[in-house]
Amino acid sequence: MGDIGRILNTARDAILANLTAMNVTGSNIANVNTPGYSRLRPDFGSIGVFNAASDQQQVGVKITSIERLYDRYLDQQVVQQEQYGAYSQSQLDVLNNVQTVFNESTGGGINDLLSQFWGAWSQLSANPSGITERDSLVSISQSLASMINQKANELINIQNDTNNEISSDVTKLNTDLAQLADYNDKIAQIQNGGGTAADLCDKRTELLKNISQIADVNYYEEKDGSVNVYISNGRSLVEGSNVWNLNVKANPNNSNYYDIVFADSPNQVINGDLKGGQLAGLIDVRDNKVAGYLNDLDSMASTIITKVNALNSSGYDLNGNVGGNFFSTTSTLAKDMQVDPSIVADVRKIAAGTTVNGDGDNASSIAALQNDASLMGSGMTIDNFYESLISRVGQDVVNAQNSLDHQTSVMNQLENQRDAVSGVSLDEEMLNLIKYQAAYNAAGRLVATVNTMMGTLINLGIETPITT
Amino acid sequence: MITRVADQMKFNLLNNSISNIQNENNELMVKLSTQKKVNEPSDDPIGMGKILDYRSAKAQISNYQKNVDSSKSWLSTTESNLTSVNDILTQVKETVMSQSSATANASTRQIAADSLQPLIDQVLSLANAKFGNSYIFSGTKTETEPFSATAQAARIDAPVKASGDAFDGGVTSGGAYIGTANKTYVVKIITGGALAASTYQISTDGGKTFGATQSDLSAPVTIGDGIQLTFAAGTTDFAANDVVYVHAYAAGYYNGNGEALASEVGKDVTINYSTTGEAAFTSQGQGTVDIFQTLNDLKNALQNNDATGIANQLDPLNKALDQITRYIAQCGTRTNSLDTASSALTDMDIRLTGLTSNIEDADMAQLITEYQNKQLALQASYQMASNLTSNSILNFIR
Repeated sequence: MGDIGRILNTARDAILANLTAMNVTGSNIANVNTPGYSRLRPDFGSIGVFNAASDQQQVGVKITSIERLYDRYLDQQVVQQEQYGAYSQSQLDVLNNVQTVFNESTGGGINDLLSQFWGAWSQLSANPSGITERDSLVSISQSLASMINQKANELINIQNDTNNEISSDVTKLNTDLAQLADYNDKIAQIQNGGGTAADLCDKRTELLKNISQIADVNYYEEKDGSVNVYISNGRSLVEGSNVWNLNVKANPNNSNYYDIVFADSPNQVINGDLKGGQLAGLIDVRDNKVAGYLNDLDSMASTIITKVNALNSSGYDLNGNVGGNFFSTTSTLAKDMQVDPSIVADVRKIAAGTTVNGDGDNASSIAALQNDASLMGSGMTIDNFYESLISRVGQDVVNAQNSLDHQTSVMNQLENQRDAVSGVSLDEEMLNLIKYQAAYNAAGRLVATVNTMMGTLINLGIETPITT
Repeated sequence: MITRVADQMKFNLLNNSISNIQNENNELMVKLSTQKKVNEPSDDPIGMGKILDYRSAKAQISNYQKNVDSSKSWLSTTESNLTSVNDILTQVKETVMSQSSATANASTRQIAADSLQPLIDQVLSLANAKFGNSYIFSGTKTETEPFSATAQAARIDAPVKASGDAFDGGVTSGGAYIGTANKTYVVKIITGGALAASTYQISTDGGKTFGATQSDLSAPVTIGDGIQLTFAAGTTDFAANDVVYVHAYAAGYYNGNGEALASEVGKDVTINYSTTGEAAFTSQGQGTVDIFQTLNDLKNALQNNDATGIANQLDPLNKALDQITRYIAQCGTRTNSLDTASSALTDMDIRLTGLTSNIEDADMAQLITEYQNKQLALQASYQMASNLTSNSILNFIR
């Protein structure tokens, strides 16, 4: 039965191999929508070689390996690209909030209130003894101060929210790093045992994408299959199954906002070493952009306060006294700006005149501050300064949006390229299915034929045939 | 170039495409509903800056316009009052002409004197007219009635301590005022302290400019033009910026001062809109003839049957008429300037509205066309999506 037995073996191998192949196809079909899944391909390998001289070889087929189809370089590119998109996205989200805070397009914002403020001084100069004009001026000044307070406080809130988000991002990063180390460990074990940990590798790549969204990391694969992750200054985050966590540390020189440090060396701030990803984006928007807008508001408020106070203090009020401060000077920050309580209590103390006889020339000079182009540097009036601040906010949003659009488009392209290599095509799997099924059927037919032949052999020289 | 198409690729592509079109659709909706192209600074950063600039310029213009309108009203009242005074003075001149000739006698002159008094009262009431709550002809002392009915000698008012002063002692004025016009003198304390230790500065123009710092207020201080101030210590000493002011009046009928009120009608454009009683009715400051003095002299001469005295009033009356006419003309000139300013402001306002609209307003026709295009694109994407799964190899494998 040697030869016939061998043919049966061959048929058996074929059936089993094709069954495995169909299994693999099944896995591909099932995972057509799994993100990050790399399709598997069974590699058929022929066993044995026919020797014309002696027909003693066992031939057949076996699945030599189940290959995971992926392009290592493309994967790395996709992971890298995540950080650029995440950087722009995180900035865009915060900047859109800032834009909403200022809300100048519908009117009624600081720009309009400033116009009304200067206008009120001008009205006062035309009727310096008018109590109505004085009341109106105080009321508008209070509205202006309070709106400036409000905007400044909202900017500070945005900074605080960004700060908290940085902290929770670091926590999430640490969790992901721990998970990555875990994957590393398992994958190394499986590969050492001679297997392929395809699904774990896919999951690990997805995890790397998430990590890269948070912080710009680089990585490379070790021989044992584990992945080492490090940041741009060379310090490792993950090596094999070892993890170095990041931490946040409050910086007293920066209003106690968080700096990023390694958990085991809290005195070395690594803010500057992060150039991409959400952390870098949020830090930049918190410490540079929003801080810059707040600075400008402070600068504008402080100029208004000092200049108006200086002029008010050099004029005479309705009582014949030399004027005092119009705005309170306890703090000239935008969030603290307010009309001096003594003025609110007695509007006669507004020093509209340059003489004791109640003329309005001092109020006129204060109204003329609106047109003074030497106040804010670079030939800008106070109004111009505010307008250019709003312009800048808008431009920053546009820049972030453009950047995001560009990065998204690049990411889409890379993903498509990756899918071209690793993605599942149902059409292809269907054809594979047909292929394997046909081979399976043919192998089955082989078994049936060999079975009949064996029956013939068994029944050679027997009077009553045994049917098989 | 994609050489192999995976299923996820197809879905991702459609997904992104539909979501992009929806985004653009949304933005169009916002613009259609607000009818503005610029709804947020990010829609047009530089344009937004310009829009804000134009808005604040328009607010300024509206302000100036208000000033122009109120100045014009003031000028109109001034002009009409001065015109009435002119008419009365013309009438008086005729009386002078007729009563100074030989045909007049004591009784005609007496009758003329009696009918002169109501005219004098009328001129007085025209000169003391108000615009709202302010006297027109008092200069900047708009709460003081400018003209008294009878002539006053040169005098110095009691000094006034400003209400916020720390000093609570007494101050009295003395001396005889030798100035030729009404003025307000101000003494401002520079460094406070006891009478002898304080330093002060004197202003002769109501507090605008001050002279050199001097010290020692324990003795009577001559502050100029014959005015003396004597301070008496109280319980609290002087503090810096304490202010004491005193009004001094030259002889005559006038109680106001010689400073005009001004208003802003454009950027760095200020127009004086008030005519001071000093210039129009007196011989102080810029004025050349004291009208009330002339009228009262005339009345006295008529009552005394003094033909020469009556004839002597002809020349001053002519000068008075010239003076009044001069200021009527000035009102007219100022009103013309204001009209010019006003039309310039209106022009600028229209231009600014146009400029703002160019940047800010949406072209509805263009937007609606874009919107319809987007709808088509959306429809096409939806169509593709529905066809995605209908064509598959599974349809053919049984």
